[in-house]
Amino acid sequence: MRQKPYIPPFVFGILALICLSIAPYLVFMYAGIEKEMGLAQKIFYYHVPSAFSMFLGSFLCFVFSIFYLWKRDKNCDLWAACSAEVSLLFGTLVLITGAIWAKPIWGAWWVWDAQLTLTLILWLILAAYHMLRTYIEDAVQSARFRAVLGIIGFLNVPFIHYATKLWRTHHPEVVRGEEISLPPDMKIAFFFCVITFFALFFALLFKRVSLAKARDELESLKAKI
Amino acid sequence: MPLFFLQTLAILQKDLKTEWRTRERLSAMAFFALLVVIIFNFIYEPGSPIIKTVAPGIFWIATAFAGLLGLSRSYAIETQNDCLMGLRLTPADPGAIFLGKMLGNTLTMLILEALILPILVIFLNLQIAEALPRLILPILLGTLGFAAIGTLFSSMSLNTRLREAFLPLLTLPIFIPALLAAIESFRAVLEGSKITDWLVLSGAFVALYIAACLLLFEYVLED
Repeated sequence: MRQKPYIPPFVFGILALICLSIAPYLVFMYAGIEKEMGLAQKIFYYHVPSAFSMFLGSFLCFVFSIFYLWKRDKNCDLWAACSAEVSLLFGTLVLITGAIWAKPIWGAWWVWDAQLTLTLILWLILAAYHMLRTYIEDAVQSARFRAVLGIIGFLNVPFIHYATKLWRTHHPEVVRGEEISLPPDMKIAFFFCVITFFALFFALLFKRVSLAKARDELESLKAKI
Repeated sequence: MPLFFLQTLAILQKDLKTEWRTRERLSAMAFFALLVVIIFNFIYEPGSPIIKTVAPGIFWIATAFAGLLGLSRSYAIETQNDCLMGLRLTPADPGAIFLGKMLGNTLTMLILEALILPILVIFLNLQIAEALPRLILPILLGTLGFAAIGTLFSSMSLNTRLREAFLPLLTLPIFIPALLAAIESFRAVLEGSKITDWLVLSGAFVALYIAACLLLFEYVLED
């Protein structure tokens, strides 16, 4: 049985490719240079959209985990695991770009800023989720436990957010609730980068899911022999 | 009394009885906590004023680490002689099993904390006598939160290849916000400042996680 050509990763891949080649132009040529932070501010266009993608991934993992426990559909588990994995990747990007940003602005690689700490703790939970998968042999049990962790872990986000906020805040308040205090040129570049990173996120996610499905199919074919 | 609470009480009674007959778990936890407190003392100069600011942290690290030791045992005893199968076969609600075990762990940890506090007073020369009444609520909330997620994860970690060693990897990241609240409110009590915000945080943490674990324990228990 040959697998059907899988369209979504291809479409999102092309979209991400086009967007990724336009984004640097918007970031470096079109958007102005910020007065206080200078060129270092440019990393904002990659840092914040990566963070959005990370949260999107964790949220998808949460939703698919609930669906898995409810419907016991193996595909839900597959989607939850892949979302968590891609989310972990974007989380790593957030942490690295955050450290690069913090060095010139705050003079240290890591300052325990509230939002970065939130990302770090979520990253740790995602890493634990990933480890849980590798350390359990029984596939069904592993899926069930990961779904439980996916739900418990995502529920933790508001608590980490509130706790780190009470604890300390260093972050530049760019995104304040509904209203965004950016000049129009930066706003356009920023929103374009958000679209770019979401396209990249979905391209990776669909690709990852199709890979996981192919692997499952291979396993079942092997078992038949 | 509703059946659910009767079942919870039965599980709680069973756990406390087995613990009381051996006292194995509690003595190991207390000794480990003592070691943690003593080892932390070597990090700082003796009599250094910094000890006062880090004492709440030392208290909670000792509690959490010793607690993890005890939590992993609380479920490991069920794996002997197929006790777990017995538990599954009882007509008790999975939520009741969870709640009974969680309350048992909470009580054990509260006894442990009652032992750690005097150790801190003696070794760190901490004055907590008049702050003690205000300390009870934040410590109780922190312990409940820890016991809730720890009890859920202890049954999960036993099924991994690393067994008990996997428990901290699951529990600690989730516990961080509640741990932060517990440490900060302890410190605020010692300094005599307000702790309402932190109490709200720990209270919400406890409420949400006990509810979530009650619902999810069923999926952890099934075979």
